[in-house]
Amino acid sequence: MPVSEPMSLVWLILSLPLAAAIAAALLSPSRFGRTLAHVPLVVACACAALLAVTLLAQWHRIPSGRLVSQAWTWFAAGQLQVNVSLALDPLSATMLAMITFISAWIALFSTGYMSGERGYARFFAIMSLFVFAMCGLVLANNLFLLLGFWELVGLCSYLLIGYYFTKPSAAAAARKAFLVTRLGDVGLVLGIFWLWKLGGWHTDLSAILDYLAQHRPAEGEISLVCLLLLCGAIGKSAQFPLYVWLPDAMEGPTPVSALIHAATMVTAGVYLVARCAPLFVLSSTAPIIIAWIGGTTALLAAVLALAQTDLKRILAYSTVSQLGYMFLALGTLGTVHPALAVVAALFHLLTHAFYKALLFLSAGSVMHAMGGVIDLRAFGGLRRLMPITHLCFLCGAAALAGVPLLSGFWSKDLILETVVAASEQGGPYSGGYYLLLLIALVTALLTAFYSFRAYFLAFWGAERVPSEAEGHAHESPLVMTGPLIILAAGALGAGILLEPITHSLSQFLATTPTVQQAAQWSAATEWHVHFNWTIALISTTLAAIGIGAAALLYHRGEPQHLPAILEPIMSLSRRELYIERVYHVLIVQPLEGLAFLAKVCDNAWSGTIRLIAALPGMAGQWLRVIHNGLLQFYAVGMMLGLAVLMTFVILRVAR
Amino acid sequence: MITLWHCLAVGAILFGLGLTGFLTRRNLITMFLCAELMLQGVALNFAAFARWHAQMYGQVFVIFAVAVAAAEAALALALFLTLYRQARSMDVSVWQSLREAGVPATVDPDPLPPPTAAEEEEIVHLPPAGLRPAISRKEEHAGV
Repeated sequence: MPVSEPMSLVWLILSLPLAAAIAAALLSPSRFGRTLAHVPLVVACACAALLAVTLLAQWHRIPSGRLVSQAWTWFAAGQLQVNVSLALDPLSATMLAMITFISAWIALFSTGYMSGERGYARFFAIMSLFVFAMCGLVLANNLFLLLGFWELVGLCSYLLIGYYFTKPSAAAAARKAFLVTRLGDVGLVLGIFWLWKLGGWHTDLSAILDYLAQHRPAEGEISLVCLLLLCGAIGKSAQFPLYVWLPDAMEGPTPVSALIHAATMVTAGVYLVARCAPLFVLSSTAPIIIAWIGGTTALLAAVLALAQTDLKRILAYSTVSQLGYMFLALGTLGTVHPALAVVAALFHLLTHAFYKALLFLSAGSVMHAMGGVIDLRAFGGLRRLMPITHLCFLCGAAALAGVPLLSGFWSKDLILETVVAASEQGGPYSGGYYLLLLIALVTALLTAFYSFRAYFLAFWGAERVPSEAEGHAHESPLVMTGPLIILAAGALGAGILLEPITHSLSQFLATTPTVQQAAQWSAATEWHVHFNWTIALISTTLAAIGIGAAALLYHRGEPQHLPAILEPIMSLSRRELYIERVYHVLIVQPLEGLAFLAKVCDNAWSGTIRLIAALPGMAGQWLRVIHNGLLQFYAVGMMLGLAVLMTFVILRVAR
Repeated sequence: MITLWHCLAVGAILFGLGLTGFLTRRNLITMFLCAELMLQGVALNFAAFARWHAQMYGQVFVIFAVAVAAAEAALALALFLTLYRQARSMDVSVWQSLREAGVPATVDPDPLPPPTAAEEEEIVHLPPAGLRPAISRKEEHAGV
């Protein structure tokens, strides 16, 4: 395969981070591990990003709209044949470019943020492995390969959340994240196997879809498969009811939160649903369930973010909420044109990656300066101390809040339009979509409020610096502020560049073969992205109200006396709506009871076994006296035994 | 006429003698010889029955047993040599120290006399063919 061919570029993009992971791991025992371990990751991500952008720029040379590379058979047993096959289509190419671009800047940021930490090389090795796994997840055409990469990103997430593994809370958070996502993955595995059966025993997604085009399965069966796949997506993308791991995952280093738990890994669920859009189109019930899960999560997480005092926790809940938005957009799959739903979700995914990575990195910059403290009650008024970080955080918060013309505004607006379109279609669920629209608007208001609450608490009012900063709190070095500025530019301009004027993203994504297939299978015929002035006006007003309220209440940078109406909801939010408590009573405690019962049974059983094992020992204790070391004694014993035997034989024969 | 019963009787006598010797003697080499005697008694039974049945199987087995016994003798004598080097005695009851831990030792009412200093000195050398075996180093020097 010549190097200039697109597919070899894809293999190169995939292998660069893997090589970086190996290089960083090999560096770790040497004395360069503390100083040079970041080089492989930064170089690999930068090169991969360049290659991915090259691919996008050269896309017009690919006539078929999809490239599939069937490299080799991973394993085969009977009907099951699993190939290592990659597929590059507009959807995965977009994701690939986003992942490599964001991770390149985050890698650069981490070189400053992580300097001097213990396990410096370990951090960069796992980060490289994560980038490799994420690229593989996006590119995998085979469902089992996808599952492998899916678990690999989960593993990297586990390792990085537990990076400070000597801290008990970090270890517990890592375990929780691993177990909760695994709960969803059970559904994913079942769904994949069911899809394998439905899809004529194919394991490549493209082959399954081609088969399903010929052999349309029963509606109920495909709905079940969709819901099972959705379980995996919910776990990975931290949707209600499995979102609980993501806020705790903030125990990891901040670049990890930015890359894995905001920009890339948590969007894997959204990507999975978008990739399997044709399946979801075939089901009539699965999309509305996705929409309700997304809407519920968006509102719930926004409420939970209202009163948090940990800056990273606010951002984590905000991520959950924004992922809920994306799921809400995907929930309109069957009702509106699939291309519209996928474009809305992916557009929000891209802009969210920019501004949420920016927000997290800004929080990391603050945390770096504050000596590891991230509690908003401990510091404030950093506006003059950290001017660049302040401006970058402001850009991110404004984009998140949906300030007009910034990237978050456009993508959120597209999602709202999609939901409006779904409610206007007049299907059986149009009332539901209308309700979801209201929920999404309320969420927009709350989002503006909590993002600016965090901003004001951190950067306004009198300057307060915690004692942990040890008196030398300062603006971060260029290696950290540089990525912040780049991402801030993305958060400001990516939205307007990609969609509202040029429509380039929607036109590009609409050529994705799977999206076109979904369009063929769905009832919807035409689609267009049109700017809805009413919705834009309403959401802008809501954002303004939210920002205004936050400014009114928190502009002094310290918690104010809240109006009486807000107090109950804030206090509920502070206690996270008692959801952890409910989970504890409903799930953890019964399981602990079950574990105790199992322990009792196990002890009883193994006690019996031990008793049986003790009997020969006791007999041996009693018999060991005859082992006295005298050879003649043994010989006599043998002779007597022989004599008894002979007597017996002779008497038997004689009778 | 030598009948089967004659052969069996000789075999039984050999076996009985070997058994008695094995149970009563304490010298390792004597015990080993007695064990060989028992083995030969059994082998004689094989040969006798082979003849009585007019078959070769028994004889094949005897040859096999004799060959194995020869190999076993080589091994056993080598072991005895090392045992002697350890304990400076051929008495088998010396090795009752190998009994199970915690079992009281069997007191020997009639132990072998300890080796005399002269016996300690004696180192047996193979003499050149046709010469009287040298008994002690002094005599050996004197003799040569």
